[in-house]
Amino acid sequence: MSTAPLLDVRNLRVVFGAGPNVADGVDLSLGAGEMLCLVGESGSGKSVTALSLMRLLAPAAKLEADALRFEGHDLLALPEAGMVALRGNRIAMVFQEPMTSLNPVMRVGDQIIEALTLHRDLSRAEAWAQTVAMLRRVQIPAPEERMRVYPHQLSGGMRQRVMIAMALVCRPSLLIADEPTTALDVTIQSQVLGLIDELRAELGTAVLFITHNLAVVAEIADQVAVMYAGRIVERASKADLFGDPMHPYTLALFAATPRAGDVGRPLAAIEGQVPAPSMMPTGCRFSPRCPFAVERCRQEYPPLREFSAGHWAACWRAPIEECVA
Amino acid sequence: MTGPLLSVEGLSKTFEIGGGFLKPPKRARAVDGVSFGIERGGTFGLVGESGSGKTTVGRMLLRLIEPDEGRILFDGIDVRALASGELRALRRRVQIVFQDPFGSLDPRVRVGDAIAAPIRLHALRPAGRVRERVAELLDLVGLAPYHAGRYPHEFSGGQRQRVAIARALGVEPELIVLDEPVSALDVSIQAQVVNLLAELRSRLGVSYLFISHDMAVVRHLATNVGVMYAGRLVETAPAAALFADPRHPYTRMLLAASPSPVPRPRAERAGLAGEPPSPFGTEQGCPFASRCPHAIEPCRTARPPLDAYRAEDHRAACIRAAELAPARPLSDDEALMSERYRHRMTLLREARQDGARPLKPASAT
Repeated sequence: MSTAPLLDVRNLRVVFGAGPNVADGVDLSLGAGEMLCLVGESGSGKSVTALSLMRLLAPAAKLEADALRFEGHDLLALPEAGMVALRGNRIAMVFQEPMTSLNPVMRVGDQIIEALTLHRDLSRAEAWAQTVAMLRRVQIPAPEERMRVYPHQLSGGMRQRVMIAMALVCRPSLLIADEPTTALDVTIQSQVLGLIDELRAELGTAVLFITHNLAVVAEIADQVAVMYAGRIVERASKADLFGDPMHPYTLALFAATPRAGDVGRPLAAIEGQVPAPSMMPTGCRFSPRCPFAVERCRQEYPPLREFSAGHWAACWRAPIEECVA
Repeated sequence: MTGPLLSVEGLSKTFEIGGGFLKPPKRARAVDGVSFGIERGGTFGLVGESGSGKTTVGRMLLRLIEPDEGRILFDGIDVRALASGELRALRRRVQIVFQDPFGSLDPRVRVGDAIAAPIRLHALRPAGRVRERVAELLDLVGLAPYHAGRYPHEFSGGQRQRVAIARALGVEPELIVLDEPVSALDVSIQAQVVNLLAELRSRLGVSYLFISHDMAVVRHLATNVGVMYAGRLVETAPAAALFADPRHPYTRMLLAASPSPVPRPRAERAGLAGEPPSPFGTEQGCPFASRCPHAIEPCRTARPPLDAYRAEDHRAACIRAAELAPARPLSDDEALMSERYRHRMTLLREARQDGARPLKPASAT
C-alpha cells in the first residue's frame, strides 16, 4: 500500500518522573477499517499507550515519539485546541467500566447529544434524530424511550452499548476500546464483540482493541501486538500469532489459558510477576521469568526481528526449537 | 461416608424493591427452589449470568442473606435454625472469599492483622502464637512472612486474592464459598490462583462452592456443576458429563458464547439474542423460552422441573433435553492448534521442569 496508514506510531515512549519508560519504543500502525488487538496484562503499558494516542496522560507523564501521526495530523505538535477537535470526533474511546464513564445524573440521550453537538453544528431535533438512530444501530431496544433514562436504569450490557453509541455518533475513523467487554457476562460479551465487528465493517472505523484475553483476540483480531512491561514483544497477524507463536511470553500466555486437556492437572501459570516500573530488569524484561533465557537475554534488549513477512518478535532465542539441545 | 458436607433443599429468596404509601413494592424472585449438595473435598461450580441468583445462593449459605424458604444442612446442622451465637461457630467452618480483592480488605489494616483477626476472634491460637500462624498461612498461599507488615495497596490483585484466601483459611474452614475469585485477574495470575485453590483442596481437604461465569475455569476446578437461570437451577451434573454433553439449551448458549482461544470462522460464532430476564417476571412457562431456539408451545405454558430430563446424576429443566442433538463442547482443545504451536508448548513445559534439557548459547543474530 502506498497510502499513509490512518495511525502511525513510531518509537513511542512514556515516562513518569525519573523512572524507566512505562511504554518503551512502541511502534503501531493501523490502516482504515483494521482491527488491531493490543494484548497484555496489568502493568504491560497497553492502557498508557492508548491514552497517549488521545494525549490524555496525567500531567506528570512525559510523552515522546519519533512519529505520532493520525489522519495526517502530527499529534505531538498539535495544540490542545486541535486535540479537542479530534477527541470524540475522529478518535473515540470506550472504557471497561461504563458506569464510571457515563454521567450518572444526566439522561443517556442528552449525554450522546452533547458529544455530537460538540463537534457538529446541528439543531436539537437533528441531533436527537441522529442519536436515536445510533442507539438503534447498537441494538438498543426502544431507543426513543431509552433516550430519557439515566445510566443506572440500564444493565451493564446496555450501558456498554450506550458508550459505543456515544463513541461512534460522530463517525470517528479510529475507535480505541480498552477492555470494553471484560466486566460483562460471556453472553453479553459475545454480542458486544459482534457489534463492534459489524460497526467496523459498516462504518469503516479502525479499532484498536485492548484486552488481556487471548480468547477474545481469537474472536475478533486481524492484527495482534503483544505487550510486556512497556514493550511490544511480538506483532503478527492473528493466524501467525496463533499458528506460529514466537515469543516465550506469548507462549506462556497461551499455556496459562485453561483448556479441555488441562482438567486434572495444574495450569501452566507464569511464575513471578510483571516487574514494577521501578524494578525493570536490564536486557529483556521477560528474562527473569523465561525458561529459555541465557546470559545474553539478561544483558542486551532484543530488538524486534522479522521472522516471516509481517511477523515480528523481540527475542534472542526465537524460534525456541533452535535453542534447545 | 457420613453423607454430603452440605445439602441445600428448596432454597428461595424474594427481595422487595421500592413501594411506599398505598403502593405495593415490586417483588424480585432472586432465588427460587434451589437444591444441591457438596461432598467433602468436592467443588460445586455454580454458573450463570449476572442476576441469575448465584451470588445470593452463596451468601445465604452463611446467612449473610436470610433465606425465605428452604433448608440448609451443613454437616447435619440446620443452618437456618441457628441462634446468633451458634452462627459464629458456623462461620468458623464456612468462609467466603469475594471477587474484588480491593474491596474486601480494609486499606488501613496491615494484612498480617487482617489475617490474624478471625484467628483471634475464634481464639484458635494462644495470643503468643498468632503471628507464627499468620506466617504459616502466608507461606501456604505463596506469600512471604514479611508481607504481614504491608498494607493492601502494596499488593497486586493476585496477591490480594491470596491474602483473602489466607484469611479465610486461618479458621480452618471445611467449606469456602468462592464468589468469582479469579474473574478480576489477568490470565497468568488467574492460573496461579486456580492452581493454589486446587492444591489447597487436595492438601487440606477443604470443599468449595465455586461461583463463576467463566465456563473454562469451572470446568477446570469443579467436580459437579449447577447452571442457574433466573433464580433457578436449570441443569446439574458431574462436571465431566455437563461439559461433554450439555442438555439444557441455556447451558449450550453459555458454552457457545464463551470465547475460545482457538480462532474459528465468523459463521461459527454464536448468534445470541436477548438479555437475562427481569427478576420481576411473572410468566408461567420456562423463563428461558423467550431466548431459546428450541422452544415449542408447551414451553410457554408450564415451567419444567429440574428433573424433566434425568440420566443418572445429570438433570435438566427442559422438556426437550432428551431429543437435542449433541452440542459442540468448548472447542479449545490443544489438538486444534497447529503442529508448530503444540511443539513449542511441549518445549515450554519441558523447559519449566527441573532437569530440563540444556540450552544452547544465544546465536549471534
